Amino acid sequence: MDESPAPNRREFIHVAAGTTAAVCLGGCSLSSSDRLMMTGSRQSGAAMDRSSWSQLASLALEKVKRGGCLYGDIRLMESRNQSLRAEDRRIANINERFDSGFGVRALYQGAWGFAASSHFSEEEVERTAAKAVEVARASHLLMKSPVTLADEPIHVDKVVTRYRIDPFEVSLDDKAELLLRVSDVLHKHKSIIRSDGFLWMQRDIKLFASTEGTKLDFDLMAIGGSFGATAKRGDDYQSRNYIVPFYRTGYEHLDKYDMLSHADRIAEQAIEKVQASQPSPGKYDLVLDPAHLALTIHESCGHPSELDRALGYEANYAGTSFLTPEKLGNFQYGSRHVNLMADNTRSGHMASTGYDDDGVAGQRWPIVERGIFRGYSTSREVAGAIGEKRSRGSCRADSWASVPIVRIANVGLEPGIESLDSLLADVKDGIYIEGRGSFSIDQKRYNFQFGGDAFWEIKNGRRGRMLKNVVYNGITPEFWNSCDGVGNRETWREYGFITCGKGQPGQSGWMTHAASPARFRQINVIDPKA
Amino acid sequence: MATQLIVEKDFRRIKNIILSSTRADDVFVSLSDSDSSTLRFANNQVVQHVSVHRPRLTIRVAFGLKNGSASTNRLDEDSLVAALRQAERIAHLAPDDPEYLPPLGSQSYLRMSTHIAGTANTTPLDMANRTKPVIQQCVEQGLVGAGIMSSSTNAHGVAASSGLFGFQESTDARFSLTATAEDSSGWALNAHRDVDSIDMHGMTRSAVMKALASRNPRELAPGHYPVIFEPAAVAGIFAPFLWSLSARRYHRGDSPFSGKLGSVVLDPRLTLRSDPGHPDLLGSPFASDGMATRHRTWVDQGVLKQLHYDRFTAAEHNVVPNTRPNAAILSFQGETADSVDALIAQADRAVLVTNFWYIRFVDRTDLTVTGMTRDGTFLVENGRIVAGLKNFRFHDSPLRCLKLIDAATSPTHAMTINGAKMLLPALRLPDFHLSSVTKF
Repeated sequence: MDESPAPNRREFIHVAAGTTAAVCLGGCSLSSSDRLMMTGSRQSGAAMDRSSWSQLASLALEKVKRGGCLYGDIRLMESRNQSLRAEDRRIANINERFDSGFGVRALYQGAWGFAASSHFSEEEVERTAAKAVEVARASHLLMKSPVTLADEPIHVDKVVTRYRIDPFEVSLDDKAELLLRVSDVLHKHKSIIRSDGFLWMQRDIKLFASTEGTKLDFDLMAIGGSFGATAKRGDDYQSRNYIVPFYRTGYEHLDKYDMLSHADRIAEQAIEKVQASQPSPGKYDLVLDPAHLALTIHESCGHPSELDRALGYEANYAGTSFLTPEKLGNFQYGSRHVNLMADNTRSGHMASTGYDDDGVAGQRWPIVERGIFRGYSTSREVAGAIGEKRSRGSCRADSWASVPIVRIANVGLEPGIESLDSLLADVKDGIYIEGRGSFSIDQKRYNFQFGGDAFWEIKNGRRGRMLKNVVYNGITPEFWNSCDGVGNRETWREYGFITCGKGQPGQSGWMTHAASPARFRQINVIDPKA
Repeated sequence: MATQLIVEKDFRRIKNIILSSTRADDVFVSLSDSDSSTLRFANNQVVQHVSVHRPRLTIRVAFGLKNGSASTNRLDEDSLVAALRQAERIAHLAPDDPEYLPPLGSQSYLRMSTHIAGTANTTPLDMANRTKPVIQQCVEQGLVGAGIMSSSTNAHGVAASSGLFGFQESTDARFSLTATAEDSSGWALNAHRDVDSIDMHGMTRSAVMKALASRNPRELAPGHYPVIFEPAAVAGIFAPFLWSLSARRYHRGDSPFSGKLGSVVLDPRLTLRSDPGHPDLLGSPFASDGMATRHRTWVDQGVLKQLHYDRFTAAEHNVVPNTRPNAAILSFQGETADSVDALIAQADRAVLVTNFWYIRFVDRTDLTVTGMTRDGTFLVENGRIVAGLKNFRFHDSPLRCLKLIDAATSPTHAMTINGAKMLLPALRLPDFHLSSVTKF
């Protein structure tokens, strides 16, 4: 089961609207001079001169206004990403990526235009802003009901992720050695035929400015990693994985999750798994661990509670939602044990960026309260469609080159009162599932099917031997209504995601889903073989 | 310079700057540049319209077996050299990679005309004008339309200290529509180098017809059914087969094809080829490492003939390396039906599937995948469509369900919902596992 150390509990930091103080997600703020020193000490030499950003932003906004637009905004961004990938006792790839550019949104008589470019010059900023206006004017030809934006106070602020160790200052030697040592431990086990390892870190520096006067500086950091091992026996092979959850913090995160100390266990469990039997299909009580539930929540609660989906914006690709607006406040989504909160103020969580890409301050609100469907993730564009006066601040773009869209917030399952032992104690014949495996769900988010990374039988209240090839299938509200117990605060864990696909062109969304383990009664476990 | 798409002359200049600024043993440079416009509509109106120019240059350098890479989207000389230095720093710090191979030498590439001026010249206004009648047709039929119209101009370049050099400009146009009624929907998607080769009118008619014909859907019990798959549905179920042809996995023991090279893996009338230069596909003359792509036969009359050998695995096993299947074509040898309608006309009873959604592996050892039917699922009885059906989850493997085929059309445009293009037949299969039903 989850033997990773519990992340330290961190204080909530609610971002006050209209504040001019630096907001620090993760604790405290760095002074401007500290930040300059940090930037100045970078060895890459590729960090850009950002002194002109403010002026370029003004230029773009002026151009948009002169183009006849009542609203416009610009995001100027510089991102630095480093990733290391290990495969079978070798470092297969080390890459460092610098990505910078800006995107301009223009709202012309209620029609959107967006244009983006990577060339930072006055001429190119003006050309791009003019292009955004041109695109908006073309869109206006096919406009039925003009977009109106929900009001938001004007914010002038600076948001900095707090961390102790800058991930980009840690030597590549150390990072590569960590992955190689993990891989050596995995391959000491003879049945391990394949292994992989992954480290990932990203810093995003961003300036958001709007024609309304909001001006926001961001300096955000995120880090995560994983490794996995595949064991073979006869014709079968099975893998087991360890996750260092994506989190907004520094390199100290990797120390806390200590990959190396888990390598032996992961290899042993991969081997135990490939030798395990698979359960016969039928109804079982399931106890799902937080790493598993994080994905279940993402797919079955996060996506259907995106208001743009419910309104049909994503009908052509990502899909719509069974959580249609008339269900708000009256639909029994789950049992009374089920409290799913959105919280974009929680420090360390991937969508806790202080403000979203609409310039709306981060908030905390209920999606499901005591089983009843209570709220959506929204943007300034769509909030009004359900009569809400203010956006929930969950509108994000995955880069300067992408247009902001409604995104799943940091939606998590609130802790209940049970210990892990008490959750198990009441199960006669069940399965404990840890981690992520196969996952698939229909476009309205009703019919889902999930696997997992590791499975144990539960017999008469106790966890027994390992199982393999467990796959369960269900209908979202029936599944959440079968929940009859949720673990307490001590069992609560947080899992960040960076590959949530949505939009056309496709974008990768970032958010965190936290959960305590929970028990679900009489769930349909199927035969996984074709 | 970054305001225009990179042309070959620019790329040669970039390459020369990088190659002349390093003492690394090997340098490999790859460029992708894209200028794209996407118009999105939903609820019968435009909801998003974006125009994005996004170059990316990646530099990989090696000192002996130590290598590293850095990428940047800033292409001025200072930024190029800064990225090069970063790649060098990484390479110096990296451990030896026992599988590292120096860049390929000069290649001879297929000549392909992949750049169509009509697509490159499409303006935002053109896109709005082309989309207008699509929305009108939806409105006239009382349906809600959502979809995209996009066009892009792209440049890809590869170059290396070994003399490797390739540069290709291409265009890409896409159109997709989901037409939705109260309790039904219909879908169409196509992509082509030439915007004028996309039959937006015909696709719209087809999506609208599907939405109208599947109203008041019936619920059919889950189970094993004869099915008719439209080409997009075949693309969905067949794509996992294409993803799994890795020789590395084959030899290291985690391939679904273990022990099956040279054996029958598909119906003996099916042949899988790749044809990078096919004018209706979106193939490329070179792979990401610069290796030339070629016309190849992967499955010949049902027999698995070839795997994808990366260079290291090829050297280990003393075979010639190749590229992944690029621009796949699956054809049926034998008498083919003229159209999906002809497949329907021959069927006593079958479930007709327009498209699949959210396909994921359940068991990689036998390629079992799951997913949902989407946007046009019908019951066929006595040679005609008799009702729309509520959507199914399926649970099956292309290695099982494509072992025996009842009937097929000639290969035609087939897109996975994620936008990959192939030429595939529509198929009628005697048995497919529709494992559960959803509520719409």
